[in-house]
Amino acid sequence: MSETTREPDARRLATDARDRVRFEEDALALSDQVYRVARHLVGSREEAEDLMQETYARAFRSWRSFQPGTNLRAWLLRILTNLNIDRGRRVQRTPDMQPLEEGDYFLYNKLEASADGTTDEERVVERLSQNDVVAALSEVPHDFRDVVVLVDVGDFTYADAAQILDIPIGTVMSRLHRGRRILKQAMAESAVGGEES
Amino acid sequence: MTASDPCAHCEEVMQQYMDRVLTDAERAEAEAHLDACAYCRKRYRFEVNLRQFVRQAVTAEPMPVELKRKLAELRTPLQ
Repeated sequence: MSETTREPDARRLATDARDRVRFEEDALALSDQVYRVARHLVGSREEAEDLMQETYARAFRSWRSFQPGTNLRAWLLRILTNLNIDRGRRVQRTPDMQPLEEGDYFLYNKLEASADGTTDEERVVERLSQNDVVAALSEVPHDFRDVVVLVDVGDFTYADAAQILDIPIGTVMSRLHRGRRILKQAMAESAVGGEES
Repeated sequence: MTASDPCAHCEEVMQQYMDRVLTDAERAEAEAHLDACAYCRKRYRFEVNLRQFVRQAVTAEPMPVELKRKLAELRTPLQ
């Protein structure tokens, strides 16, 4: 091979290596944000850690399939949710027929009713503990929880969530609506008990 | 369009209002109701605080340092 053909090859390899390093750095810089979402898509911290490692290993192997300029965080989470499904971690199915939850004002009304005359909306929130919220979120069925976590914790748009989970945007909206209500119902139960009226 | 009970209608669209996905007309209608209705306004403020609270509660646990190190080790070695 002559010098003239080797030189463009060397340049191409150097560009390739530079792009790969940049991709890996960008992906690692997002790992905290990806972990926060991953942590609540699966049941335990150990599972989340395994899934993160599998996700990053796969992302680094297939970095060329990422289109620069698109949403890298969404791309990483797409890999993560696919791996989560492939590994059979999600055996629970959507309980489509369960009775419809309470309305959106339910939690406020419940907390207000149980507060000793405290109707200030900021103080009412203080009646919930961090543990109440984390425990309540883990009670939300997977299909609903995935959407709630992506949109309300990960701050993804409906369109991003639809792409990550590979479901239609209308499904994202209906699951989000329902998932938030289930979450609020679970928070109400842990904060003031489910049986009171 | 408008439900016979405007507060029930407000409750129904509040999450979409907060997600900023209502049309301009729906948004204007929701805002007009919130301006006029102390009952729904109170619940709207609660919902805003609640979302913030949920996000903070859920993201309070940082990524373990050890995991961060393991992820960095997965990088392709430089040649």
